[in-house]
Amino acid sequence: MSEMIAINIDGRDVSVPKGTTIFDAARMNGIAIPTLCHQQNQTPVGVCRVCVVDVGARVYAASCIRECEPGMKVKTDTPAVVKARTTLVEMLMSDHPTPCARQENSGDCELETMAKAAGVAAPRFARRLSPRGRDDSSLSIAVDHEACILCDRCIRGCDEVKKNNVIGRSGRGYTAHIGFDLDLPMGSSTCVSCGECMVSCPTGALTNKRVVDAALDGEKLDPEWILQLPVFKGVSGTFLELNRSSVVKREIAPGEVICREGEFGSTAFYILEGTVEVYITSPIAHVQQQDTPGGWFSRIRSTLSPRRTHTRAEESGRKYIPIDGPVDLPYDKPLAELTAGDLFGEMTCMSFNPRSATVRAKTRVVVLEMLRNVLDILQKNKTFRADLDRKYRQRALETHIRSVPEFAAMPAEFIAYLRDRVELIRYSPGEVIVRQGDAADAFYLVRMGFVKVSERHPGGDIVLTYLGRGSYFGEMGLLGGGIRTATCTALDHVDVVKIAAEDFGLMLSRFPSIREGLERVARERKEMNRRRVAQTEHVPIGEFLNQGLMEAQSLLLLDLEKCTRCDQCVKACADAHDGVTRLVREGLRFDKYLVATSCRSCRDPLCMVGCPVGSIRRRNSMEIIIEDWCVGCGLCVRNCPYGNLNLHPFATEVADPANPSRMIAGTKKKATGCDLCMEQAEPSCVYACPHAAAHRVEPLTFFGGMLGIEKRSPQGSTAETSK
Amino acid sequence: MLIDRTHKPWATASAAILLIAVAAYVPYVAGSAPVGGGTLPGLVYGTIGFAFMAFVTLLALRKKFPIWRIGRTTTWMRGHLWLGALSFPLILLHAAFFWGHGLTSVMMWLFAIVYVSGFFGAWLQHAIPRRLMRDVPMETIYDEIGHVREQLLDEADGIVAAACGKLEVQISVPDAAVSSGASALATVMRTGSGDADDGAPLRDFYLKEMRPFVQAPSVSHPLASAMTAAAMFGKLRPLVPAALEQAIVDLENICEEERQLLRQRRMHGVLHAWLIVHVPLSFAMMLLAVVHIVMALRY
Repeated sequence: MSEMIAINIDGRDVSVPKGTTIFDAARMNGIAIPTLCHQQNQTPVGVCRVCVVDVGARVYAASCIRECEPGMKVKTDTPAVVKARTTLVEMLMSDHPTPCARQENSGDCELETMAKAAGVAAPRFARRLSPRGRDDSSLSIAVDHEACILCDRCIRGCDEVKKNNVIGRSGRGYTAHIGFDLDLPMGSSTCVSCGECMVSCPTGALTNKRVVDAALDGEKLDPEWILQLPVFKGVSGTFLELNRSSVVKREIAPGEVICREGEFGSTAFYILEGTVEVYITSPIAHVQQQDTPGGWFSRIRSTLSPRRTHTRAEESGRKYIPIDGPVDLPYDKPLAELTAGDLFGEMTCMSFNPRSATVRAKTRVVVLEMLRNVLDILQKNKTFRADLDRKYRQRALETHIRSVPEFAAMPAEFIAYLRDRVELIRYSPGEVIVRQGDAADAFYLVRMGFVKVSERHPGGDIVLTYLGRGSYFGEMGLLGGGIRTATCTALDHVDVVKIAAEDFGLMLSRFPSIREGLERVARERKEMNRRRVAQTEHVPIGEFLNQGLMEAQSLLLLDLEKCTRCDQCVKACADAHDGVTRLVREGLRFDKYLVATSCRSCRDPLCMVGCPVGSIRRRNSMEIIIEDWCVGCGLCVRNCPYGNLNLHPFATEVADPANPSRMIAGTKKKATGCDLCMEQAEPSCVYACPHAAAHRVEPLTFFGGMLGIEKRSPQGSTAETSK
Repeated sequence: MLIDRTHKPWATASAAILLIAVAAYVPYVAGSAPVGGGTLPGLVYGTIGFAFMAFVTLLALRKKFPIWRIGRTTTWMRGHLWLGALSFPLILLHAAFFWGHGLTSVMMWLFAIVYVSGFFGAWLQHAIPRRLMRDVPMETIYDEIGHVREQLLDEADGIVAAACGKLEVQISVPDAAVSSGASALATVMRTGSGDADDGAPLRDFYLKEMRPFVQAPSVSHPLASAMTAAAMFGKLRPLVPAALEQAIVDLENICEEERQLLRQRRMHGVLHAWLIVHVPLSFAMMLLAVVHIVMALRY
């Protein structure tokens, strides 16, 4: 039994074990001492000083850290102590936004409650001059540094209670604030969103981000039940309690569709039991008119118009279609199965992208459907993450690597060699993955999300392209001088497979065909980048900028002095694309030219961002093409700032709404856009214009003289778009 | 097609062919031998002239298959213009400037009409596109004019309803919604936040003057003239509160767009109407030319 000591608190003689703090001694004897920085489950640190008491010494003591001494006489509520405490609260309140988020939401900000009780109305002290700002980078926790009183409760919660060691102090004096890892934004840090900091925080500095309209169909779950699931091991029960409407359990009968391709959604699914089928219902085909003539006339037409329909040269190497799930779908038969333990719909949930595939229950299926705040926590949960990564390495890495045409022939044994050597890394939106000028130390395959590739130039960055799932980057630096030639930034939540430079080098030395393929792609990318940069080194003006013509790489212009409005261009376009025109003879005018509504092959192709199946992409020869596996979600159409992409209906079979297992005749939509008739020497619209009024041009070169800028057309190209 | 400097090679070649043909014709006609279509020189002129005519006619077929890679349509069009221009003089040389009788005479008259209409069309294609560009800055796709007008009418109704509080108008009902014997028009009440009394003059003006014009634009309507329209809106302005000025400006803009659409429709008609004469008569002439060749060779 420990030694007992006798002390006097507010005139009462009490006996407490040796080593007890004054704060605990008072509490054990029913005397409440106010505090902000101290919690019973944390080591006391005495930083707020609100718990000061008079122990008869020269200065007041912080009761939470001062141990009792034999014969000590403690006074907790003398007018002088109360006055000192009030002054401290007043000083803390002077920097505290009133009301803070917590006070506004639930009215239980401890500081504001204490200030109100102490009669602190308007602080006499001036606010800090340098605001500390907010951090909204985390999906589940909002950080308001302004409301933080630096009590360190969150730090101790993270370090001592949850042992995550993410939060710490950063800065000094007025710049002091809580920081995550090496002072990163919370969303980019190793924070696992356990919620302990939020629970510990006495003010509105760390608050739960509530999800609007979180009502999901399905069985609402008790947090206790959820915590029993292995995938939720380590997740904060408090957090689940706060977000209990953000995850539901659903039982799905065989044949029932869980989600459909092209639909917008905001949830992800984790399979607890059963098997689901993942497939694309949109036929892999060009969009064409239903009434395309099929007689001898059309046969003559086909013979004389040498357009190879339904296939493109580079498509022959494609074996998989990327989707928002742990597997890719085989190109020739886009169907796969997912079973218990698989997660799908991540991109839809995290980035609100359209669904990339249709998912139907093959057997009786039990799934957890969750919103992004719960998914975010799961993804940051080390156990869950490790499990997902293990499954990815076992099941999906091989098909993912083979989905890159250049790697399609890679032997299975080398993929097995890579399996445990590659790193699986996640990046938050805006995070730089590789930076131009840095040493090239790895090769990256995009596993999920979109990566922006940009090059630094005087006057700003030039966006070279966007890369989605199935694309890769980093080869130019490794194949070249070992220096990164561009900056790659995560546009949304991006997962990459990182192959270290030494493994990449080993691969190249062992497989010369892969080296040749990568070198060819690197050359093409280099040439494309050079052309794009050469085009952008002009500074045009006025209306040219206003109409976004500066952004265009290729414009379809109609000379209005020559055009007789005969619509031969439109007819030719329709004839060249199975009856579906890709241009509308309307748009803004620039000088005597009509800028027709037709794809401009923009330098910054916003249309490519977010495509759930990666079917819209830019070829190295700069045109934007929409591949045949488009699922018709319409995101690219909405993203195009110039209205140059369209959704076009075509006849196919669709599920009967009354009986989903039965297929009936119906229509679906696919996006269409000008592909510059890339299989021809000249776009059909230009070729067919009888009046020499239609031109496909590089705008800066074509209008160079008019704009008073020196014509510096890229080597080998002319004003008319060359291919 | 605009005939500009890029036509220089075609113009030079055509002039050379014509010169050679005329130069050859002079000794031929000055000689003692009979002249006419049946002679060897006459047959040569006729054959070349007919070949040109045939090529010129094939343009129509070429345009039916715009993506056939058999030469740029622009090249075909240039051939159409210059070889077409040469064909008639060659046929005249073939016939030794004899108009002929019966079938031949009909054919020659047709040829003359086609020839003149072709020149007229070429002139129109020079003049009208420039005027369209200058006079119709709000030009839309010709086939969409009706749709744009419907939108303008709806927009105008909305503006007036918003400015005047309420507006009772008749709108056309889609065919599918009209049962047998029922009216294709429905009366609807559109409402807005404006004051009904303040906006009464505007509503009256709109219902009596402007809406009929927007609904069925015609060149005879007073609002079809920009000057008259400005005067009519000028008279209206003092009658309504200043708060409705923006509504009046918007309505003026709608009238202007309607006028431009009227102008576009008219100019588009002129630009393409000559083809109604040119194309059928060309085919008729070619048919008669084939008959003429068969008869001349057979008999």
